[in-house]
Amino acid sequence: MKNRMTRLPLLLLSATLALTAADPSVTFLRDVAPILNKTSCTSGPCHGAAKGKNGFKLSLRGYDPQFDYEALLYDLSGRRFNRAEPARSLMLAKPTQSVAHGGGLRFDKKSPYYTTIYNWIAQGVPYGDPAKDTVTALEVEPREVAMAAPGATAQVKVTARFADGQTRDVTREATIESNSPTVAKVDVASLVSGERVGEATLLVRYQGKYSTIPVQILNPKPGFAWKPLPQNNYIDQHIDAKLQKLKIQPSPATDDSTFLRRVTVDLTGQLPSPDDVRAFLADPAPSKVKRDRKIDKLVGSPAFVDHWTVKWSDLLQSTRKFLGEKGTYGFREWIRESLASNKPYDKMVRELLTSRGSTYDDPAGNYFRATRDPKPTMEKTTQVFLGVRMVCAQCHDHPFEKWTQNQYYQMSAFFSAVGLRPGYEVGEEILYDQRADYEMKHPKDSRVVAPEFLIASLTPTKIPAGPQRRDALAEWLVSKQNPFFAKAVANRLWSYFFGKGIIDPVDDIRASNPPVNPALLEALTKDLTDHNFDLQSLMRTIVKSRAYQASFVTNEWNALDADNFSHALPRRLNAEPLMDAVEAAAGARPNFPEVPEDTNASQVPDPHVGAEGFLDLFGRPTRESACECERRADFSLPQALNLINGKTISEAVADPKGRVAKNVLAGKTDSAMVDDLYLATLSRLPTKGEAETGTKYLSGGPRTLRAQDLLWALLNSKGFLYIY
Amino acid sequence: MRRVLLSLCGIIGPLAAAPSYYRDIQPILQKQCQGCHQPASKASDLDVTTFEAFEKGGKRGPAFLAGKPDESATIRYLTGAMKPRMPLAQPALAEADITLFRDWIAAGAKNDSPADATEPSAAVYLQPPVITALKFSPDGQTIAVSGNREILLHQADGSKLLHRLPGRAERILSVAFSADGKLLIAGGGTPAQFGEVQVWDVASAKLLRSARLTNDTVFGASLAPDSSKIAVGCADNTVHVFETATGKELYKIGNHENWVLATVFGVDSKRFVSASSDRAAKLIDASSGAFLENVNLLRGELNAIARHPKKDIVVLGGVERYPYIYLMDRPRNMKIADDTTLVRKLERQDGPINALDWSPDATRIAVASQSAVVNLYDPETGEKKASCTGHSAGIYSVAFSPDSTKLATGGFDGKVRIYNTKDCSLLHSFIPVPLSAGKP
Repeated sequence: MKNRMTRLPLLLLSATLALTAADPSVTFLRDVAPILNKTSCTSGPCHGAAKGKNGFKLSLRGYDPQFDYEALLYDLSGRRFNRAEPARSLMLAKPTQSVAHGGGLRFDKKSPYYTTIYNWIAQGVPYGDPAKDTVTALEVEPREVAMAAPGATAQVKVTARFADGQTRDVTREATIESNSPTVAKVDVASLVSGERVGEATLLVRYQGKYSTIPVQILNPKPGFAWKPLPQNNYIDQHIDAKLQKLKIQPSPATDDSTFLRRVTVDLTGQLPSPDDVRAFLADPAPSKVKRDRKIDKLVGSPAFVDHWTVKWSDLLQSTRKFLGEKGTYGFREWIRESLASNKPYDKMVRELLTSRGSTYDDPAGNYFRATRDPKPTMEKTTQVFLGVRMVCAQCHDHPFEKWTQNQYYQMSAFFSAVGLRPGYEVGEEILYDQRADYEMKHPKDSRVVAPEFLIASLTPTKIPAGPQRRDALAEWLVSKQNPFFAKAVANRLWSYFFGKGIIDPVDDIRASNPPVNPALLEALTKDLTDHNFDLQSLMRTIVKSRAYQASFVTNEWNALDADNFSHALPRRLNAEPLMDAVEAAAGARPNFPEVPEDTNASQVPDPHVGAEGFLDLFGRPTRESACECERRADFSLPQALNLINGKTISEAVADPKGRVAKNVLAGKTDSAMVDDLYLATLSRLPTKGEAETGTKYLSGGPRTLRAQDLLWALLNSKGFLYIY
Repeated sequence: MRRVLLSLCGIIGPLAAAPSYYRDIQPILQKQCQGCHQPASKASDLDVTTFEAFEKGGKRGPAFLAGKPDESATIRYLTGAMKPRMPLAQPALAEADITLFRDWIAAGAKNDSPADATEPSAAVYLQPPVITALKFSPDGQTIAVSGNREILLHQADGSKLLHRLPGRAERILSVAFSADGKLLIAGGGTPAQFGEVQVWDVASAKLLRSARLTNDTVFGASLAPDSSKIAVGCADNTVHVFETATGKELYKIGNHENWVLATVFGVDSKRFVSASSDRAAKLIDASSGAFLENVNLLRGELNAIARHPKKDIVVLGGVERYPYIYLMDRPRNMKIADDTTLVRKLERQDGPINALDWSPDATRIAVASQSAVVNLYDPETGEKKASCTGHSAGIYSVAFSPDSTKLATGGFDGKVRIYNTKDCSLLHSFIPVPLSAGKP
């Protein structure tokens, strides 16, 4: 302690001498705030934490410069700076470790950051003029990086453009992150290096502005020659265009029986029956013709409606935990009816958002009963229908998007008057728009926040004064001009058929999570709006593409690709289709409690039915959130054990009225039995070798038992558990 | 001692080669170690910010054994012989730096820091500093104003700088005169380094006594009406009480849960109230330090407190922006959430409340906030009587003149303003410090 006192004046002297009168003018907005971000002062583990650090709080990643300015200068009577002797300022002593600093050394006295902050204090701590000193845009160079081979490097340059038109090289101060560092990584000097063949996106951040740089690292292997494959529709054109550029040869369409299994499960959640398979294979029409015909038949079929009712019930949180039993059945019926009649998607969403009165009379109003409060309802609405996650912005501006905390409350304000009160019947609730004291308040200063659209300029929609606001939101939301609405659902539907969105996760659309094939997503979006939000039409187009029908077998050029839809990616059957497949393959009848006889897994109303059983084990969502991530498609040890000797499998296989028993009674030959079991489980005929092994096994012991064993083995095979 | 040194010379050769604690070792400790090993965090109970504390060591024993580098904890941790290797989760020190430590310990681990300079160096003013404290003398002739590393005594109208009272504390956060005007006490310190209480003889402008405490500035220093005691709030959540006559610390209390930013004594000097960022204003028995009762219901974090000139009634305020007037005494049998001792809640201010004062004639309360306005209220009715404007940013200190006709204010913009309390007309305004030549 003693030493420091005598040493400081010397330091002060040298620092003062180093500065001349010609020092450029420094403002907080333009010069100091970026230093706080770059040196991690404003980071989450440091002073950007919700409660700050050691009595000093800054806004997270500096999203609120006004707040940070006041914290630095006004807190505790100006404790952190010394205008009389800038070098004695606490805000210089701490980061240089001249006094103990829990965050350690951030920069030393020789660094340009020290000089900038010193000058700023010496110049009287000017805040700067937001109309001049705000960053309006980031310019990155290069706009995209294409490397001929791993091991190459590229230098990124970041230029900030300010509101007054000036520009500045901020490469050093900008934060650059790779979304896939195993493909491309960035070092502190903003040098990008290609690590392996593939694609990555660099996210560049500076003072609340973002930019992205796509990086492609091509396969350096010689000898690539593009072999064009037939293109079924515009989807294949867009996919091929990108694949050709990346030197990836796509896999051709798969065989008829694999196609039939894949498309039937994806569209209806059910396996094709042995008869379906035989009939399809026997159909002499050209493959493309009969495939298209099959697709047209499946889309809109009763099983299709059941299957998609499950999906939408997940997203809209239809569960008796929130809605009660009667409410759940009512909501499910409304969803089912909407899908069965192929209600245009914009109409469906508008009905959900604008429903009023008793939820027994108008079940669409159940949409509001799971989330209940304005803020969660807004979060759900934006996440499900726009694919935008607003939740971060509740407490601070979104760190990876342009959404601000203000916008979070402006959007929530559309729902702030929505109230629910008990109705006349048990479990009935009335949805109304006159909640007392309904205005949305900003948490920082309790000021009333008026509703405003996330992107106001999209539509001329007027927001009425007073509490009846959500109709205006619905109109804005479902508008064809809204770039998120159609895109989000097109991307979401795509993901159900490919196991992955063009933007993935599908409900996290943001500038820093760009689409892997923008042209493709744009075309799908346009297709959807051109067809007035006809979801069935879009589904037909998707599954008719060669890309959807591609084989999962790879070639030397596309084996490593998992992003560009160059081949099929095997997907585990989801919980409900898997359970229905087990029952159907074994010829057993589903047996759920509390529901009508023969209700199958795709028809149960909510996760209450059959809870804790097979379905939950295989990842059925609980519908407690609207996140797509609630449904799990992983494969775990308990699942494997359940398939080996769980109740569902063993009872189905040994069902006395099941497939094996019926075949034995019908006196089927060993060969016919093997064929039937293969058709029922793998939706194809056995190969010659499989047929021989199967018949040999059946003839070697008690027939019924052995046939059950064969069925059990098939149900445990990957060929059964996966769509491929 | 000499014998030891001689024998050491024999072992390690010429002393001239031994590293210096002051020149070599302390800078490394400062840069690499004291982030964690400092009084505020004291990882492993070790503090390396002073030689004495470093020598004492932490919970693994002394940091070094003079003459025995390989047995010294410092070397063993720096080399990784003891885990975890220090600095924790950082690259190891350069071999040359470890050798400095090794050689310094081998040479006897001496503290060669030069003794403290006897006189504090003169304050420098490139720009006017933020004003954090001001007070009129009891005769109304003088005004004491905080400066940079000093207190300045001005004629009450700002027409003449009478005395400069230079000290070591960089910031003076509170000043108070004794009732007879002979003593001036001040509280402050240097942020993140030390807190200091100063007792000055006004007539001679000499520092009579000073006491250092904690590792950060002290806040809200107040003098008992009988001048017997000084209470100060601290950044380590404690309140320390000193005897004015001796400068001796009588006791400290630690029942706050956050920084203590303001204190005020009762009329009879037998009790005081401490107000803290933990939202509580606590009534304390001044002779024993015993906690008596919370004065207020917990609302926002508290920054400031002032007392009625003749009664045990206080006004307090802070982040919540409302000044609350409370009876100081809160009967012990009152239930939680009973707020009957609240006399009045004044108007919400435009920013967090920084400073409060109650006029000596009891007719006005001055409320200063982060907004650039000081509002004057009638405590009897809660009515706003006047608004004093003119400052360009937040105000950190307000003080009525002894005859209650004037109000002095100072804050972020570095200017003292003196207003007529009747109508807030500006009487005087001045920069209280002599600006250095060559100001940027």
